Amino acid sequence: MIYAVVGLLIGGALGFLVPFGIPAGYSSLFSVALMACLDSVFGGIKAACSGNFDDKIFISGFFTNSLMAAFLVYVGDRLGIDLYFVALLAFGLRIFNNLGFIRQHLLKKH
Amino acid sequence: MHFEKGRLSIACVCMVLGFMLVIQFRSTEDIRASQPTQRVEELAARLHQAEAENQALEAENRDLKGMSGDAKSEKITDDIMMISGMTPLEGPGIVITIDDSAKKAKVENDPNLYLVHDEDILKVVNELRAAGAEALSINGQRLTANSEIRCAGPTISVNNVRSAPPFEIRAIGDKDNLTNAINMRGGVADSLKVWGISLNIQPMDNVWIPAYKATAKYKLANRSSKEEETK
Repeated sequence: MIYAVVGLLIGGALGFLVPFGIPAGYSSLFSVALMACLDSVFGGIKAACSGNFDDKIFISGFFTNSLMAAFLVYVGDRLGIDLYFVALLAFGLRIFNNLGFIRQHLLKKH
Repeated sequence: MHFEKGRLSIACVCMVLGFMLVIQFRSTEDIRASQPTQRVEELAARLHQAEAENQALEAENRDLKGMSGDAKSEKITDDIMMISGMTPLEGPGIVITIDDSAKKAKVENDPNLYLVHDEDILKVVNELRAAGAEALSINGQRLTANSEIRCAGPTISVNNVRSAPPFEIRAIGDKDNLTNAINMRGGVADSLKVWGISLNIQPMDNVWIPAYKATAKYKLANRSSKEEETK
C-alpha cells in the first residue's frame, strides 16, 4: 500500500514539474486513457480483494487498456463515430461496479 | 489485500497514474482558464473600445453642431441631416402594420404566399414614396438612400438589421395621400389581402421616425469636382 501511495505522489510531482500539458486536440484521447487507467487500478484492487491479483495481468491490462482506449477513440474520431462517450460510459460503469465490489468486501471483512 | 506479489510494479503503475492525473488536471485548468475567460475579456475590451469610440463621436457631433453658429450653414446642415436620415423626425403621417396571414394555407397553394416578403414591403415603401412620404422607417430602422430591404431567411433585413413580422412602416407625409396610395384599387393592399395578409393603416397626427443609427461609411467612393461626365 505504501508503495502505491509513494508511486502516486512521485507521479504527481513529476506531472507538476513537466513543463508541457496536453494539447487541446488530444485532451479527449488523454481523458479516455486516464479513465482506462483508473478502471485498471480499480480492477486490480478488486482482484487483490478477492485474492487472485496477478501483477503481470495488472500491468499489461493497465497499459493495453489505456492505449487501446485512446486508439479506439482516435479511430472513431477519424471515422466520425463518437466513441469518446461510449468509452467513458463503459469505463465509468466498470469503475463503479468494481468500487461496489470493493466496498462490500471491506464491509464484510470488518 | 494481497498486493505483496508485485510491489514495484504497482508503484510504477501508480506513478504513471498519478502523472496522468496531474497532467490532465493541469491541462483542464489551462483550458478552463484560457478559452472562455479570454473570450469574455476580448469581448469586454471590444465593447469598451466601441463605447469609447461612440462617446467620442457623439461629443464630436455635438461640438460640430454647436460650432456652426452661422444660421445659414446651420439651415443647410439641418436640411442635409433630414434628407440623409441622421436626425429623428416627427410630423403627420401614417403607421402601417403588416403581418403574416392568419388564414390557413390551402393545401394546393404555396404556403409562402401567406407570408410577408421583402417584395411586399418594397412595394408598400415604393407606393409611399411615390405618394410623397418625406421620411420612412421599418420596424424602427430609418430608410436612407443606402438602405436595403432584403429577404434574410424568415426575417427581413433593413439597414443590415433583421426583424421579423409584424412589420411596422411609419411614414411622414400627407395622411390622405399616403392612405389612398396604399388603398388604391388594384394596389398593394388589394393584392396582399387576397392571401389574407393583414395590412392595417393608421393615420396619425404625430408620427415619430427614428434617426439612422449607424454611421455612414464611404470606403470606395470619393468626392469628385467634375460637374459633368467627361470622356
